[in-house]
Amino acid sequence: MFPTPIQKASPFVQAGYKLLLPLALFLWLLPLIGVAVTSVRPAGDLAAGNYFGIPSGFAGVENYTAVFRDSPIGLYILNSFKVTIPTVIGAVALSCLTGFALAVYKFKGNLILFFMFVAGNFIPFQILMVPVRDLTLKLGLYDTTMGLVLFHVAFQTGFCTLFMRNFIKGLPFALIESARVEGVSEWRIFRYIVLPLMRPAIAALSVLIFTFVWNDYFWATVLVQGQHAMPVTAGLNSLNGQWVAAWHLVSAGSIVAALPPVAMFFLMQRHFIAGLTLGATKG
Amino acid sequence: MADVSLRDVKKQFGALSVIKGVDLDVKDGEFCVFVGPSGCGKSTLLRMIAGLEDITSGALSIGGKDMTSVGPSERGVAMVFQSYALYPHMTVAENIGFGLKMTGHSKAMIAERTAAAAKLLQLEPLLQRKPGQLSGGQRQRVAIGRAIVRNPQVFLFDEPLSNLDAALRVQMRTELSKLHQDLKATMIYVTHDQVEAMTMADKIVVLSAGKIEQVGSPLELYHRPNNLFVAGFIGSPKMNFLTVNVTAGEGGKAVVSLPGATVVLDAGATTIAGGEMTFGLRPEHVDAKGKGDAQIQATVKLAEYLGSETLFFVTLADGSEMAVKADGLASQRPGDTITLGINAKACHLFNTDGTAVINGDLTR
Ligand SMILES: Nc1ncnc2c1ncn2[C@@H]1O[C@H](COP(=O)(O)OP(=O)(O)OP(=O)(O)O)[C@@H](O)[C@H]1O
Ligand SMILES: [Mg+2]
Repeated sequence: MFPTPIQKASPFVQAGYKLLLPLALFLWLLPLIGVAVTSVRPAGDLAAGNYFGIPSGFAGVENYTAVFRDSPIGLYILNSFKVTIPTVIGAVALSCLTGFALAVYKFKGNLILFFMFVAGNFIPFQILMVPVRDLTLKLGLYDTTMGLVLFHVAFQTGFCTLFMRNFIKGLPFALIESARVEGVSEWRIFRYIVLPLMRPAIAALSVLIFTFVWNDYFWATVLVQGQHAMPVTAGLNSLNGQWVAAWHLVSAGSIVAALPPVAMFFLMQRHFIAGLTLGATKG
Repeated sequence: MADVSLRDVKKQFGALSVIKGVDLDVKDGEFCVFVGPSGCGKSTLLRMIAGLEDITSGALSIGGKDMTSVGPSERGVAMVFQSYALYPHMTVAENIGFGLKMTGHSKAMIAERTAAAAKLLQLEPLLQRKPGQLSGGQRQRVAIGRAIVRNPQVFLFDEPLSNLDAALRVQMRTELSKLHQDLKATMIYVTHDQVEAMTMADKIVVLSAGKIEQVGSPLELYHRPNNLFVAGFIGSPKMNFLTVNVTAGEGGKAVVSLPGATVVLDAGATTIAGGEMTFGLRPEHVDAKGKGDAQIQATVKLAEYLGSETLFFVTLADGSEMAVKADGLASQRPGDTITLGINAKACHLFNTDGTAVINGDLTR
């Protein structure tokens, strides 16, 4: 078997494994631990220059209440949801359809169309900044969550289509053919055969896009100015004082802001089932 | 119920010609088997009948209606795929009823037909399972159940038994034959297993490289192969072929000089040109005890003792080889000499272009 199970490796390798794994894990999590520790630091620590040392006291309760008291973080989070959820639904739903079309139907230009979806991912979005801002202004979508949603859907659909098309290509094509011979219409084939089998892909993609869009800072700052539409990533900035950076509050706010994607992951976890097509073909 | 007819049907994949003009009539209620070597286009031809592949040229009709460019869903055929293609997220009952449900049949009718199919195929205890929890043979039965609930005019099977073990294959073979008798539907069945073909078929279609070599009943193909290909393809172990010299004898006879013997065949009305030809004789028609119209001496090279029978692979005087099927008590060992008897009535003779000139049909 490859790789060799660690239980069967030499004692030296086993010891190294036991030592290095926690170490690597610690290093990997260090930034997160840093943020978590800072979020419970009293404000005085930061003023005294104690950025990375042991906190002088536990100020978790004060900091987290301050976040909710001093900033409209509730509104920001609501805005983030207003942007993220429609984007996830829009991008995933669209890409289920485009992916199905590109994977199942043979038509002229199929591959070229597919490559165009893929190629869109290679455009660095920074160069789109000015034209997209102009476009949203002209459409009257500037400074609205709707503008962000539309832009994110347009931009995420390319990657989602790549993902979905390849996933559907991996399903046994005989399932579709057999349904066709049974007289099932194409839409119903999509609805009752392909869609249920795409559940793991839909779950994975939803979590991915949710996290991606939730964490977006760039477009949140480019396309939105006012508090009323500001997502939480951009909104956190307002926790800083006008003159001094309040890192302990920003950290606490960040932790709060990071919770929804984590929750989303655990919510979707039971759908990441491998082997859904088990038994479709002879084993 | 319906007949299927193909008129000069061709299939082209780009520049590659896969089906090169097929004319075929499958009668209503007939069990027709397509056999042929791998890659000869059996699956392609079946998929063309199902509507899953376009027909490049030619015409197809099912039940008298032209179906050449009708979509698969409107042909009224049911197909059992080589891979079964069960819907993995549905239970057995849902799998069987899916097509009916999607085409707007009532719940009561779906339940009734599903129950009937399950009873016929002994699937009743499995109705609530998912395909992943079934054995290969059970999956295969579900795939058949899915086909029969729709009461199709024509059943199409693409090597449905090829992945089952030998015992299950024999069992499913008889079950399919029984099903055909019960349903009396037209069935077209693809296989490259000739035992399946011989045991199940009313009519066998032998294909090779996209063309029909011969159509006939199993025994017709066995006794009267039209050409070398069919002669070599049907029958196991394979028919022996020897290159021989032939002269025309008096009174419609062909005199064949075999290594170490001469055998005189009755050519009937056929005129024999003579010269070099291919002589064919099935291993089971060579007598290992030397009885027959001519005797040849041979040396046993290899012997397989199967109990019920013994297979000898022997070398003739000129070095050419032959297989001989003897009864299980034959005791010759490799290295021994053996006298083979040849029954002139069982011999076949083929032209250099492969067409049969004389068919030694023992049934006559
Ligand atoms: N979609 C396709 N594009 C190009 N060539 C194809 C395609 N499908 C089949 N072929 C070719 O057509 C020929 C016939 O294929 P087919 O699947 O009908 O063979 P078969 O007789 O069913 O063989 P087997 O017994 O191995 O299943 C093969 O040479 C194959 O390579
Ligand atoms: Mg095939």
